[in-house]
Amino acid sequence: MIAALANPHVDFLALSPEIALTATIVLVLVADLILPERSTWQTSRIASLGTLVSLAFVAVLENHSAIHGLFGGAYAVDRYALALKGFFLVATYVTILISVDYIGEGDYYEGEFYFLLLCSVLGMTVMASARDLISLFVALETISIPTYVLAGFRKHDRRSNEAAIKYYLIGAISSAVMLYGMSMIFGLTGETKLSAIALKVSALPDSKVLAVAIFLSLLGFAFKVSAVPFHWWAPDTYEGAPTPVTAFLSVASKAGGFVAMLNIIFFGFGGKAGMWWLVIWVLAGLSMTLGNLTALKQTNIVRMLAYSSVAQGGFMLVPFAAYGIAQSHHQTDVARSAFQSVIVYLLVYGAMNLGAFACIIAVARRTKSGEITSFSGLFQHSPVITVLMSIFLASLAGIPPFAGWFAKFTMFRAAINAGGWAGVTIAIVAGVNSVIAAFYYLNVVRNMWFRPAADDAQPVQIPGALRAALVVCTGLVVAVGVYPSIFGDIADVATKTFG
Amino acid sequence: MAHGFDAWILTLTTFTPIVGLALVLLIPKVEEELIKLVTLLTTLVTLGFSLYVLKNFDFDHTAKLQFEVKKTWIEVINSNYHIGVDGISLPMLVLSAFITVLCVIYSWNHFPEPHNVKAFLALILLLEVGMNGTFIAQDLILFFIFFEIVLLPMYFMIGVWGGPNREYASIKFFLFTLFGSALMLLSFLAIFFKVKNGQGLHTFDIPELIAAGKGGITHGVQLIIFGGMFIGFAIKVPMFPFHTWLPDAHTEAPTVGSVLLAAILLKLGTYGFIRIALPILPEAAKSWAPWIGLLAVIGIIYGALGCLAQTDMKRLIAFSSVSHMGYVMLGIASLTSFGINAAVFGMVAHGLITGMLFFIAGSVQHTFHTREMSRLGGLLTQAPKMGWILGFCAMASLGLPGLAGFWGEFPAILSVFKPADGLSLPVFRTYMVIAAIGTVLAAGYLLWMLQKVAFGTPKDEWKDTHVHDVGPQEWMAWLPLLLLIVVLGVVPGLMFKTTDGAVKQMVDKAFPTKVEKGVAEKQPEAKSPAIYVKHLGR
Amino acid sequence: MIALLSDQHASSELTEYYRQYLSVGVFVLASLVMVGAMLGVGYFLRPTRPQDQKYITYESGSDPFGTFGQQNVRYYVYALMFVIFDVEAVFVFPWALNADGASHGGLGWFGFIEIFVFVAILVAGLAYLWRKRLLKWA
Repeated sequence: MIAALANPHVDFLALSPEIALTATIVLVLVADLILPERSTWQTSRIASLGTLVSLAFVAVLENHSAIHGLFGGAYAVDRYALALKGFFLVATYVTILISVDYIGEGDYYEGEFYFLLLCSVLGMTVMASARDLISLFVALETISIPTYVLAGFRKHDRRSNEAAIKYYLIGAISSAVMLYGMSMIFGLTGETKLSAIALKVSALPDSKVLAVAIFLSLLGFAFKVSAVPFHWWAPDTYEGAPTPVTAFLSVASKAGGFVAMLNIIFFGFGGKAGMWWLVIWVLAGLSMTLGNLTALKQTNIVRMLAYSSVAQGGFMLVPFAAYGIAQSHHQTDVARSAFQSVIVYLLVYGAMNLGAFACIIAVARRTKSGEITSFSGLFQHSPVITVLMSIFLASLAGIPPFAGWFAKFTMFRAAINAGGWAGVTIAIVAGVNSVIAAFYYLNVVRNMWFRPAADDAQPVQIPGALRAALVVCTGLVVAVGVYPSIFGDIADVATKTFG
Repeated sequence: MAHGFDAWILTLTTFTPIVGLALVLLIPKVEEELIKLVTLLTTLVTLGFSLYVLKNFDFDHTAKLQFEVKKTWIEVINSNYHIGVDGISLPMLVLSAFITVLCVIYSWNHFPEPHNVKAFLALILLLEVGMNGTFIAQDLILFFIFFEIVLLPMYFMIGVWGGPNREYASIKFFLFTLFGSALMLLSFLAIFFKVKNGQGLHTFDIPELIAAGKGGITHGVQLIIFGGMFIGFAIKVPMFPFHTWLPDAHTEAPTVGSVLLAAILLKLGTYGFIRIALPILPEAAKSWAPWIGLLAVIGIIYGALGCLAQTDMKRLIAFSSVSHMGYVMLGIASLTSFGINAAVFGMVAHGLITGMLFFIAGSVQHTFHTREMSRLGGLLTQAPKMGWILGFCAMASLGLPGLAGFWGEFPAILSVFKPADGLSLPVFRTYMVIAAIGTVLAAGYLLWMLQKVAFGTPKDEWKDTHVHDVGPQEWMAWLPLLLLIVVLGVVPGLMFKTTDGAVKQMVDKAFPTKVEKGVAEKQPEAKSPAIYVKHLGR
Repeated sequence: MIALLSDQHASSELTEYYRQYLSVGVFVLASLVMVGAMLGVGYFLRPTRPQDQKYITYESGSDPFGTFGQQNVRYYVYALMFVIFDVEAVFVFPWALNADGASHGGLGWFGFIEIFVFVAILVAGLAYLWRKRLLKWA
């Protein structure tokens, strides 16, 4: 017991992004204490600087060719993990940019906002590296708990309170369910490390216990990524939470859930694909279809994007199903394309969704409304933001030459590659759904371009930070759409992970 | 592969409008004249580039891809920036660059409400990128991207500058096309995974896919894959029963939008059939051909009957598009080099003639603020030049020999007299008869329109209005079109010479005739309508 | 559990496995006897003088009836603070046992710095609570 605690060999370089983040978190907290009330906005600067420093460390590690496995393989710093860490940090940076004015102008605790945001991000960076049930769970909780508070950040708004309590209860239940599944997995295999679980699970006979164990773990994730029928909390939470928090929840937090799922499915349950692919297949189909159909009817833009994010989550589940279908037929070459697809989709979705939210925040600063009709005639007085919003919506709809097409394309590719009736069916369902989705995305576009503006409409002023966020998102969406090889590294990642 | 300037010329032809677009966006909104000038110059330079391609094109080897460039683009999926033109794509590329210039000239003082010159011209430039790009793409993914790029600008053009029912028309146009292209993309992916190129890699490269043949795809799967592409392309053409978006889109679109839609956008679909669907999946094409032919003749008759039921001049022209594209598809369905040559000719001819008709309809509306034919009449007395041009175009459109329309329609009908080997003769000859009836109907509705709009005396409400006849801008935009309609009508060989080599090679590879070569040569030449017309053409 | 699923001597091990529950059964039985004995002896020995007040449920001094027994939110702050610093101890004790110099097989300076960082982070938290006046009741 005591000997086990002897000097561990910790590779501090490999942990540097997390260490930088932790230092930033403490700094933000202390700064919030020291700074006088009127200059607490400085904490946003510290937070964004810290994020950039952490990002720089990720970049350093990226050029450090060696792949590190820490803590006996429970924590991996490979290119896959680094790519995701990079994504999480960039997404956070953009979130901070779109938050600055919103949080600064409203009646909010500023220091705490960035503190909680960064805590959640710390969980995400850990999640990217987690290759062990325990670190996976700890990371997931680190992501979730601060966001429960963030969702309720509009303290005096009942909707925000409702959002927070709903989100918290669902989060707690899903954690419990997932933990129960994980404990059964541990009981069956005696292992917590995913690579070891993968070996043991493949050797086990198909049993009801195993089925229940896998099912419960997946159910927990289904809640986290708001897959239909476990999605109903998302719209209320998204609408009630402050808009930058919604952006963060729908992008980074959701991505955290997906990354956890990637880890556990691709590194753990691959050998037993026959037992779970149908579950994911059904979840994917339902999420796409119901998410889109419900989004059609929304009149509030944030609610619409909430349902759209449910549907987009469905699209992201398709490669998981494809991987399962292929694995259950012992067709191994799909793993690569499916893995790539999830990651590409996450990155692209992050850029376009954050961009759309940035536009919404910019417009809502003037209109003080979240109704889709409040976008009417935007083109007549604020053409720049209109064009940008149109780009993001077109990208979400998957229309070239914006990045969304490539994400959808890789998703289709994984499904068709898996083949069989299941692969083709889900691809066609996804195809039909992308048309349905186009309808409600274009509904906003239609309001902005085709409808007359209100008589008293004033041009939308975009503050500097928001402008920077828009530049980053637009740049990514257009660049990736025109030249998707920017994500060349991701191909590398998949190649390295799956030989 | 091309070298030096030749390696850049197609890229320049496609992406010069992007440069113009950037410039236009930088100019403040109020500087309208400057914006117009920059746009015009950009499109002229683009046209110049495309004429350079035309001039330096090696007409002795039209089957060969020329000005070819192949650069790595998306390594992950082995998709390349592979561009090039052959005899089939060259006329389309030049047509596209040409029509865009005319559209910019025409819109000089014909801006629909809400004015906004900057946005309108920016969209035209963006549209040109997609149109030119589609015709030079030699990679399925590249093709798909360009094919989709045209969607948004046209959507905005209809939605912002369109008629009263514009919102409905624009979203309908958009969703129909998007649905088709989603299925098309799935088909592309299926081909990607089923076929391997010479190096044993999966590929999206069109020439490589054609060379690789059908690979190991079973006939049933081929049929499904072809079906996906068919829906994608057929919606764009549009073929019956996928045509319903077209009358709405055309009716609501601003004049320039209608012209571009009719002249170029519809051709993306038929071009897709000739460039991709037929050569890559010839066996499936053969099984599908009778059905394509059937839908084509239904389209011909349905479109024609639809025309007769219209009261709106523009809607009538839109339905006539459905009918005319039916001839193009019928030529394609014959799967013979003769029919496909006719189809390509028909595409260009329809682009010129229907584009022209839409220009006139636009000017009529500009003058009278209505397109209701019951309220119009006596155009020949009030604006004789415009009336004569309308008459000329109606004649060209109904397929009067000596004008361009004839060479698209007549050979297409003839081609199904003897379709490719393995296709049922009785079925296709029935199609031929029905299509021939369609020409009579075409004459009927076009002359009817001419009579309503141009003949007679002006209606009372216009009696005292002073009507502007064809103005200088209109002459500048229209004269080139009118000249080309005559030139191509008199010397169709100009086109056939360009397309024949490429079409022939494609057909020979995809649908080799079972008859021994020696036997084929022994047949007296005059008996084959193909050779007859070709001689006539040259 | 693992043995249960995979071993070929499953049946004999199964009996062995259930036999372990025997001790549990004995334990349960013994505890029932003990409880019964204690309550039974009291019942026989104590005097019986019933009063109304004796039948009221007792709940930490506060009245259990009337309005919904909502607690003051400040209790949670104290509870949370207690948990945080309690858990801190769990980490600090093992460190203390290994705090010896590196030459003696302990954690040495590395451990010292690390625990210092750990405590410093917690202190920052405490400072936050202090500054936000959460340590005061009012």
